[in-house]
Amino acid sequence: MLEINNLHVEVENKEILSGIDLKIKAGEMHAIMGLNGSGKSTLSNAITGRENYNVTKGDITFKDESILEMEPNERALAGIFMSFQYPTVIPGVNNTYFLRAAVNAKKKYRGEKEYDAATFLKFVKSKLKEVEMDAKYLKRAVNEGFSGGEKKRNEMLQLLCLEPELAIMDETDSGLDIDALKIISRGINKYKNNSRSFLVITHYQRLLKYIEPDVVHVLIDGKIVKSGGKELALELEEKGYSWLES
Amino acid sequence: MNVNDYQNEFNKIISRKYFPSRLNNSRQKAFSKFLDIGLPTKKWEDWRHTDLSFLNKNNFRISEANDAFENIDFSKYKIKNTHTLVIINGHYVEHLSDAPKELRVLTNHEYLEQNDWRQKDKKDTPFDLLNTSLCDSGMSFIIDPDTDIDKPIHILFICSGSENLIISPQVNIDISRSSSATVIEQYASETSSFFQNNCVFASVKENASLNHLRIFSNANKTINISSSYIEQSENSNYKYFQFVDSGALQRSDIYNSLKGTNSNCFLSGLTILDDDQQSATYITTDHIMPNCTSSQNFKSVLNNKSSGVFNGRTIVREDSQKTNSKQSNKNLLLSDKATMNSNPQLEIYADDVKCAHGSTTGALDNEALFYMQSRGLDRESASSLLIRGFVIELMEEIENKDLRDYLFNKFDNWLIKNN
Ligand SMILES: Nc1ncnc2c1ncn2[C@@H]1O[C@H](COP(=O)(O)OP(=O)(O)OP(=O)(O)O)[C@@H](O)[C@H]1O
Ligand SMILES: [Mg+2]
Repeated sequence: MLEINNLHVEVENKEILSGIDLKIKAGEMHAIMGLNGSGKSTLSNAITGRENYNVTKGDITFKDESILEMEPNERALAGIFMSFQYPTVIPGVNNTYFLRAAVNAKKKYRGEKEYDAATFLKFVKSKLKEVEMDAKYLKRAVNEGFSGGEKKRNEMLQLLCLEPELAIMDETDSGLDIDALKIISRGINKYKNNSRSFLVITHYQRLLKYIEPDVVHVLIDGKIVKSGGKELALELEEKGYSWLES
Repeated sequence: MNVNDYQNEFNKIISRKYFPSRLNNSRQKAFSKFLDIGLPTKKWEDWRHTDLSFLNKNNFRISEANDAFENIDFSKYKIKNTHTLVIINGHYVEHLSDAPKELRVLTNHEYLEQNDWRQKDKKDTPFDLLNTSLCDSGMSFIIDPDTDIDKPIHILFICSGSENLIISPQVNIDISRSSSATVIEQYASETSSFFQNNCVFASVKENASLNHLRIFSNANKTINISSSYIEQSENSNYKYFQFVDSGALQRSDIYNSLKGTNSNCFLSGLTILDDDQQSATYITTDHIMPNCTSSQNFKSVLNNKSSGVFNGRTIVREDSQKTNSKQSNKNLLLSDKATMNSNPQLEIYADDVKCAHGSTTGALDNEALFYMQSRGLDRESASSLLIRGFVIELMEEIENKDLRDYLFNKFDNWLIKNN
């Protein structure tokens, strides 16, 4: 589904990622762990096409096609979703309105009938239940006045509505209380199936208690230095990262 | 226009038979003063950011009786559920107007007669002096005590025709005690060049309230210079909303005096410009008495080479304790050639007051754009949502739904062209 080959990424003329190789098959869940500043979010941003994250070498393909020339919205429509580490506040743009616009953009792309306001409301309310979110958040502007945890639930809500094939979860677990962590993990487990993949970025082994990654990668200084099964996460929790640094 | 041109137009006005010659003396005085002072230059502090070259390059004549054209398509000015009063090139057209019966509509001549020929005080600024000397279209709207007019009164100033005209209206709006009304002034020019130089006086008496909207939708070759003087008595409410979406230059000077205790004055406005249009809003809110509330909340969205000025001044005088006052000016620049000068100022001479002010000017938030794009919206839809999001809170303060819809429609049309 996602293939990254020898990816080099520069931000402001500084190389942040120095040759990443990563292959995620349909239905797989991969986790990336690594110290602050090692380049995890940079990798997510490069995959989703954020401005100023310049790919200087290598390639990213999604469903066998290079996505490097695609706009962020084209990547999203193709099936890539990122849950932001720091979700953006969008003043004046109503949450429901925004979500419907996004879902309808996807429906249009797929040649399906777009939602009118009433049917969308029904649809989104069923999704709200899954993340145990109160309907009042739909009435606010996107992420405005949301607490850290509420923002993450809102990201999860968007994921459930947009139904991506590849979901990148950039520290969706950070800052969540234990109940919210369970809700989000349950959401992820329920959503995952044979044709949907996850790339989960986390600092905590505790998340991996609730969701089971097929592969765990360790990112240090813009390179994947080790990959392994989920026991690697446990090892990191015990020993830290220093034994992997060269 | 040079000095001789102004002189010619002035000579025409004072020799007009149908204007009361009683006024000639004050016209003459104002005109001499205008000649002494001259038009503002960029060296004048309050005119530093205002380019008047358009005025100097074009010639205008005063309007004659036969300039009251009526072959105008009024449909685009129609606001649902309002009383419309039509003034074409400075001439009130009664048979196109439907003034509510509770509203007394007087000519300024009649108004002056009823007020012992006392002229209202203006500032001695060049344009106000010109307005006094060249005033050709005066309208007074009086609402008697204890009267609520439920439908908004829409005063439509249309400039039309193929000649360049200078129109100098003076409008008086008197809301007597315990009365209320919504008054919309709309300035719209259609074809050639116009120079609209108007003065508005609003007086809001005890327990009265005035909801005042001004829409400036002039063609690109029109300049509008406009002073408003608002006086409020005890327990009165004044709400002002200004909508500017075009014009070569739109300049508003607003003077608000809170002369009675427990009165409120909320001023807000949205300016959306394109090309090399200019807009400048200069406000003085003067807190003279205690226990009053005021706010200034202005936003602009500027595209291409357009430019804006916001100069909001709030004075809190020594006796005006317990004043609560807010100023906010936010501006969105859609092009790197657009410019904005923002200058909110507080002058506080009382100690027990609550005042706050703030100003921001910036481009569209790239983070927000990326966030929306990452959810599948194309860049254009994303920026359109963001721009609309920027103005929505302000627009939603317009309580009257028909009015709000009318302005949203204007805004959305603008947005389609400018996004
Ligand atoms: N937009 C940017 N501008 C400047 N530097 C950036 C930018 N984005 C990332 N960097 C730099 O790239 C490096 C990697 O940052 P990145 O956000 O990818 O780290 P991370 O692994 O996600 O860290 P964390 O665990 O703290 O989230 C850091 O040194 C960071 O300062
Ligand atoms: Mg990060």
